[in-house]
Amino acid sequence: MNIKQSILLRVRLSFLLVAAVALAIVARIVYIQFVEGDYWRQKAERRDVRLQPIPALRGNILADDERLLATSLPFYKVAFDPVAPDEATFKAGIDSLAWYAAHFFRDRTPQEYKHFFVNARRQGRRYVPLGRKAVDHSDMQKIAAWPIFRKGRLKGGIIFEQETRRFNPFHTLARRTIGYVNNEGRGVVGIELSFDKYLRGKPGQAVYRRSVGNRWVPFHDGSFIEPQDGMDVYTTLDVNIQDVAHHALLKALVENDADFGCVVVMDVKTGAIKAMVNLGRVDSARYAENYNYAIGSKGSADPGSVFKLASVMALFEDNPQLSLNAPVETGDGKYRFWDVVLRDPKPDGYGTITLQQAFEYSSSIGIARMVYEHFKANPQRFINYLHQFGLSTPLDFQLVGEVKPYIKNTNDPTWSRLSLPWIAIGYETVVSPLQLLTFYNAVANNGKMVQPFIVDEIRDKEGRVVVDYEPVLLRERICSPQTLQKARLLLEGVVERGTARNIKSKQYKIAGKTSTSQKFKDGQYIKEYHTAFAGYFPADNPKYSCIVVIDNPRRNLQYGGEVAAPVFRKIADEIYSMDLSIHEDKVITRKAVSPKQIPYNEVGKAADLQRIFEELDIPQKKWEGVDERSWVFSSTAPDSTVVWKPLLLDDDNMPDVRGMSLRDALFILENRGLNVWVKGKGKVLRQSIEPGRPIKRGQPVTLYLEHP
Amino acid sequence: MSFLDYQADITKKKEHPIFKGDPVIWYIVAALSLMSILVVYSATQSLAFKYLEGNTEYYLFKHVRLVLLALIVMWIAHRIDYRYYARLSLFALWVSVPLLIVAQLYGTTINEASRWITIPFINQSFQPSDLAKLALISHLAAMLSKRQHRIEDVKEGLLPMLFWIGLVCGLIGLSNFSNALILFMTSLLIMFIGRVPLRYFFVILLMGAVALFVALSFGERAATVKSRIESYLDKENIPFQAEQSYIAIATGGLTGKGPGNSTQRNILPNPFSDFIFAIIVEEYGLIGGAFVVFLYLGLLYRGMMILSRSHRAFGGLLAAGLSFSLVVQAMANMAVAVGLVPITGLPLPLVSMGGTSLLFTGLAIGIILSVSRGDIVEQSN
Repeated sequence: MNIKQSILLRVRLSFLLVAAVALAIVARIVYIQFVEGDYWRQKAERRDVRLQPIPALRGNILADDERLLATSLPFYKVAFDPVAPDEATFKAGIDSLAWYAAHFFRDRTPQEYKHFFVNARRQGRRYVPLGRKAVDHSDMQKIAAWPIFRKGRLKGGIIFEQETRRFNPFHTLARRTIGYVNNEGRGVVGIELSFDKYLRGKPGQAVYRRSVGNRWVPFHDGSFIEPQDGMDVYTTLDVNIQDVAHHALLKALVENDADFGCVVVMDVKTGAIKAMVNLGRVDSARYAENYNYAIGSKGSADPGSVFKLASVMALFEDNPQLSLNAPVETGDGKYRFWDVVLRDPKPDGYGTITLQQAFEYSSSIGIARMVYEHFKANPQRFINYLHQFGLSTPLDFQLVGEVKPYIKNTNDPTWSRLSLPWIAIGYETVVSPLQLLTFYNAVANNGKMVQPFIVDEIRDKEGRVVVDYEPVLLRERICSPQTLQKARLLLEGVVERGTARNIKSKQYKIAGKTSTSQKFKDGQYIKEYHTAFAGYFPADNPKYSCIVVIDNPRRNLQYGGEVAAPVFRKIADEIYSMDLSIHEDKVITRKAVSPKQIPYNEVGKAADLQRIFEELDIPQKKWEGVDERSWVFSSTAPDSTVVWKPLLLDDDNMPDVRGMSLRDALFILENRGLNVWVKGKGKVLRQSIEPGRPIKRGQPVTLYLEHP
Repeated sequence: MSFLDYQADITKKKEHPIFKGDPVIWYIVAALSLMSILVVYSATQSLAFKYLEGNTEYYLFKHVRLVLLALIVMWIAHRIDYRYYARLSLFALWVSVPLLIVAQLYGTTINEASRWITIPFINQSFQPSDLAKLALISHLAAMLSKRQHRIEDVKEGLLPMLFWIGLVCGLIGLSNFSNALILFMTSLLIMFIGRVPLRYFFVILLMGAVALFVALSFGERAATVKSRIESYLDKENIPFQAEQSYIAIATGGLTGKGPGNSTQRNILPNPFSDFIFAIIVEEYGLIGGAFVVFLYLGLLYRGMMILSRSHRAFGGLLAAGLSFSLVVQAMANMAVAVGLVPITGLPLPLVSMGGTSLLFTGLAIGIILSVSRGDIVEQSN
């Protein structure tokens, strides 16, 4: 056999081998189809495999200190299979189970619950829902420990069905700003809507197999797609400021029986929003975060006197020589513009006053006349200044629903001869509270207009920053430095002497402008008011700007100075006390403290006291036998050194806790089994059992506390 | 055997000026490519819905582009004189060894096995094992043809071949056991065809077993291989994939559910690659499945015919070797789908979706066609 023939023989053999495999494959198909066919087709029919999406976990919304504002938590629907427990278990536990259920859900009495369960068991029902609402994880654990239930799902019949719910740890706080999620888990309003694309994540998918007990379990294989959890949204909101603003506004709304209100607090330098409160009336006495009045159209019609700042700034820009002392004729408090009479708050008018006074008293006649006289030849000039102040350009704010500002040009079809004076005092325009605040903020920020923002960063689940929103400068300078200086003097004057003098603070200076616009319908004033206060503080070195709007207060107080400004003051006070950066210059300089100035004896744990005295640079030394853990009291040596002497404590006699803090006193007394009652605040002044008296466990003792 | 008679078969007809070589191979490739496009389009439906919001055409266009590219590679390869590949094969082997090591150390992980490296600049992932496979088989053909007259010589004839087989299979086996096993068996088959005496095969099989054992113990695939073999031997608990594959085959019936009507594509993992044959049977029935098996057998038959009619050992061994390599892998893939062998991750050559392996298949067939061309003057002795 030559080489070629040998090769040919071998290749044919190899081919036959492969052909045999090919035949086996076809045979195997035939076998599966015709021999095992029924089995596999049945299996396909039974549908014990299905494709199912795996929901992605929605991202969190966090405050500026990374506290959670909105998060997704598991909740559990509770149900009972009364047939599952055996007779003995059911009989033994049913009474106490009914008691627990009645006390927890409060929708039936224990007797009713017992009947309900017994009947359901008799009827053979396998699924009885308990309570209308799903419970959280800790309640679920409690319920799982109830009688009968504690035997588990199969023997105790307890059924928990997990579902993921959006949870807001601060409940109503900033509810509308944070927004809501619908049943499908998609954001509907607020940050939940505006940042939905980051928050929602991407659902995964898995093949689920039917397992024992009709449960579906995911099958991890090549077709398994891991869900991508949503990203976290880090806001600039400050929970404390939001809380203060919320409650201050709520109180003012209730007291004034108003329709709605909103508050926005902004960081002057960056435009970061520290609080955004929106409260609207839901029924006669209740208010809720139901609409974003701060940015939406409902809160934006006719901004009123707050707008006068823009009007006087337009005057200053057009006439840099115009002085704050320029005289203005306001007459007897009534002034007729053609067929409409304008009124000032003071019934008989202010007479001839200065421009500054007209602004401080918020004289509509004064402002309207000045603007009218100055710009009547070319009203568009005035409107152009308003454009220059950024009042007509949408802010492009991060939240969906921002109203488009409307400041009409002279070619507008609705422009009339009344438009110029009316716009000057804040009518015939649409400007949202947020937009006004941005303008006031620019005045506070030396003319630099920054874009307000509420979301600072988007981070993924590993904490990597995905999107970083930097502060955006909208306008480098909205007006000349001279105009700015005058504007700030005017705003300070309003609080110093004008319509908001009731909120003047001794500690720090507030600058701002009140607004009280009587609502104007069909050329007539109606008995409805829109009050507001916009401003910033501290006036010398502004850190925060803030606007408060309260719509339609019905009580006697109808002026912005009386309704909205106090809310501003309350918020400002709170921020002032919390934010140390505001009063850097007021940090108390440390003086050497001599022990003679220590007004009372210190008593307590040696370690704590020593650290305090070290910090205050007071010379100190220890009595013999005193260590870190000893209880000590202070005495002063002749050389002014503080000496720590040991406090003698034994278990059978009443210790001397006078001079101690309540924490220390409680620790010592309760360790000896005494039943301690406390009256007053501060340090222990007196104790009802004299030191050294024998004591028993459980004996009552009263401590009288007082601030030294 | 008259069907092996080259003169009687092909040279009677004049060769097509553009598509040279064996026209039957061209037809088979065309048929399989068409089948590939139809089935991949159907099988990627759920993938498209999962990842691309239902943009079902994305995978279709991507796959069609690759199929066309593979055909272009094939066409170019078949215009090149096949003798050129003898020199190229050694060079390719030298290149593929470091590439395999790189893939093992730094490769991208797809399906938990590091077999892929990404080509810089064009950002296309590719499996060095595809290149290594082609290079090894070509080089085996070259070595065998050169050593025909001293094939019994162990030191000169056998050892160099064993060295390369062991090295390449060992490296591939580190990350892809089944691929290495298939390549090893194909190499043995080619050596058998190349007249290596049967008595040597005992030793070779023993050495192969040792090499594969070493690869398994040092590589990353031991656990997978163990679990796959265990689940294959466990007749009570049929693995999920196999079960779903059987359901696809059983519900396909004699004539199938029709193109695009697969339901198992949603559940079966990798319906466009490892289990594409199950989808073929589901949509085209026993008839369609048998036809595909027949096409591969036809390809092998034509490859064998090239060997029988060639005047020089290299061309014949090259064509036969590459044909066997392709068809053995195809049979292995289909055998997995019907449950004849344990589950492996092998694509079906020419049909499965998958980037560069399709291009290397095109190259292999191009080489086979180049050998089959009648116009290259053989300088036989």
